[in-house]
Amino acid sequence: MAIKSRRYEEAKLEASTNLELYWWVFMRISGVVLVFLLIGHMWMNAILTDLNTINYDYVAKRLSQTTWKLYDLLILALGLLHGANGLRYVLDDWIRDPMKRFWTKAVLYSLIAFLFLLGSLSLLNHDFGVK
Amino acid sequence: MYRGREGQWAFYLHRISGLGILVFLMLHVANISSAMWGPEVSNALMKFYHQPVFQVGLLFLIAGVLYHGFNGLRIILMDFTSWGVRYQRQLWYGVWVLFVVFYLPFLIKIGGGILGGGHGD
Repeated sequence: MAIKSRRYEEAKLEASTNLELYWWVFMRISGVVLVFLLIGHMWMNAILTDLNTINYDYVAKRLSQTTWKLYDLLILALGLLHGANGLRYVLDDWIRDPMKRFWTKAVLYSLIAFLFLLGSLSLLNHDFGVK
Repeated sequence: MYRGREGQWAFYLHRISGLGILVFLMLHVANISSAMWGPEVSNALMKFYHQPVFQVGLLFLIAGVLYHGFNGLRIILMDFTSWGVRYQRQLWYGVWVLFVVFYLPFLIKIGGGILGGGHGD
């Protein structure tokens, strides 16, 4: 079960398994990192750039730089994991029927795993080191 | 745990914004990945997403990300400090102050673009 505690000491006591505690810790660490990565990402693409001019060339040029590949890969991995685990908390709360819950999770986790594959493939598929 | 009022709102907004962000992230990854099918496919899809209705959606998304992020920091303060839980309501107001400060530039830039009709190609 998801941990509902508001304090680390309580969370440790409430955690049903070590894994559940690791997820609790992961949500906090990935959360802090994502706040900074995402504000940077949004600022760069919506404030410093006119959103409406974004097209294939813009994306290809930016993603040809290794730093942005890694930056986006980090957002992709942390974001999808953070999102998948958050989704798990919500589904455990909202879907009471075990069979329905199992199949909903099976479908949505597969979709998320597929998007991680697709996303990382497309990031690495862009050229390297083009100025 | 959550006894109505601000704490309850903070919790529901955190959930709804989290789910919204996840849905967007999945669409966004699919959209950016379309580059693997070549510039024609990619540009057609991006032109589709440049329609005003999606810009409005983007304003909602950015609001969701900023709220979820700053409220997440509030949760972390409640988890790891001795005073966080006691001041959770004040912290929530702090979340909204940060939200307004960071949201205004996006609102002006993107909102101005929608009203100015600078969308599309």
